[in-house]
Parts: sequence; C-alpha cells; structure tokens
Amino acid sequence: MTAVNSGTDLIPSAHCDGDAMMASLCGEIDLHNSSELRDAMFGVLLKHSPKKLVLDMAQVPYMDSSALAVLVEGLRNLQRVGGRIFLLNLQSRVRGLLEIARLTNVFMLVKDEQEALAR
Amino acid sequence: MILPPRGHGTRQDRNHSVVNSTVHLPPSFSAVCRLEIRIDSDPAHIAGVRREVERLALEAGFDAGRQADLGLCVNEALANVMRHAYGGALGKPILIVVEYVPPAMRIVIRDWGTGENPAAAPPRPYDPLEPGGVGLICLQGLMDEVNYEPQPDGMRLTLLKQQQPGAT
Repeated sequence: MTAVNSGTDLIPSAHCDGDAMMASLCGEIDLHNSSELRDAMFGVLLKHSPKKLVLDMAQVPYMDSSALAVLVEGLRNLQRVGGRIFLLNLQSRVRGLLEIARLTNVFMLVKDEQEALAR
Repeated sequence: MILPPRGHGTRQDRNHSVVNSTVHLPPSFSAVCRLEIRIDSDPAHIAGVRREVERLALEAGFDAGRQADLGLCVNEALANVMRHAYGGALGKPILIVVEYVPPAMRIVIRDWGTGENPAAAPPRPYDPLEPGGVGLICLQGLMDEVNYEPQPDGMRLTLLKQQQPGAT
C-alpha cells in the first residue's frame, strides 16, 4: 500500500493498493474550489494511473454541479483505460444531486471499500 | 416576532452584504420575510448566499429537503451568472432578493451581463457524461417556477418554490 499526497485539504487522505486508488474527499465543494479538486484529482490520477478510483464521500456534505463535473471528467478519463470510479458513503444532498443529474448508474455506488475492490 | 440581529439594517461580512432585509416571522409564518443580498461575481461568495437562503427557508418552516433544493438552485443560478452572463469576469454586480411570501419562497437574481436566456437555447439531448446542463436541470427539476426575463441591460431570473408539494 502506497500513501498518496494530493496536496489539498479536499483530498486529505489517499493511498494506492495494486491498481486501485482509495481517496477520501472532504468539505463543501462548489464553483469556488472545484478547480482545486480537479487539479488535485488529475494530478494523482496522472501520477499513479489507477484502474479503480474509490472515493469515500462521507465528509462531503454538499457539492454542486461544478464538483460533479470534475468527477464525471475523472470517470471519462478512467473509462478510456477501462477504469471505473466507485463512490461510497454518499450524504443525502450529494446523492440527490447525482440522482437529478442521472449519474447514479454511471458511477459505481458501493457500501464499502471491500465491495469496490471485489468488483 | 422580529429577529433583530439579521432582521433590519445592514450587515456585512467578508463574503457578501445583506442589505435592506426585513424579517418578520410570527408563529403562523403569515408575514413576509425578505432578504436583499448584493455580491460581486466571485465564486467565493456563492456558499454564503446559499447558506443565507437555506437559513431563511429553515426559519420559514421549509422541510430539510426543500431547504436543500433552494440552496442548490441558488448556487447553480449564481454559478451560471458568473460563468456565462459574466464570462468568468470577477467584480461584476449581482443582486439577489429572497422573499418568503406564504406559502412560497421566491428568489430573484438580477445580473447586468450578456442577457443571454439559458432557457431559450435550443434543446439538446441530455447526456450525463457530457459537460454542462446540470445547473439548468436542477432549476427546472427542483423549483416550481423558473422564469428568465431578459432586461435591456442583463437578465432577471425568478425562482419560486412552494413550501408544500402541490401547493399553489
């Protein structure tokens, strides 16, 4: 297991395990800081090239469409190499945004890290 | 009941200013609550406005889901103004007027940008994997009324959300 430094408080912890990267996101994310999330996320994806990105959203009480766009862009990049993004511990407001954007079947929603690693 | 700390007068913080606000919240919630918020076009101000709208909705008795809907929609509407009406330029004026007129919350967002009407754009099939469009989908899906009124010098957007489902 390799610890990953994202360089931002929005991703306070991350690590790689084989071809999977597990990362926790933290904080409210909107147009003000979604570009910071984008830079950090693409930085670690470029450096470590995981096939699976598992994002623990437990500490994200709110996000808007600009943050969602970052996740979608990340997903599209991973899909090009056969990869996927797994989301776990969605809070209700974030889940609601995914639902209205019709993205609940696009991302892999899982109950824990083990389920993501097994799929 | 009048809530003096944020009910009257002018309040300033580093994120935005709330001016000319009048908040009357009797137990019956039968009176009008009004907030007037002026910001400039900087995404750093969005969260502050969203929280003010959610606070007013909470005090007016909107349930948690409807508070969240109002907050998300004002966020998305302001982001659209900043990105599209002002093309990402900082320092441009935006006026937000939030009124609780029982049984509904009305939010008016005025900008002095391009005046382009997002609702008048040719419809395109929504692809969740293509960028763009989620903000407008939120407004149309979560608000009871969305009305863009082009002005000679910009745009006036009115959002209306009933306090109860199906209320008129």
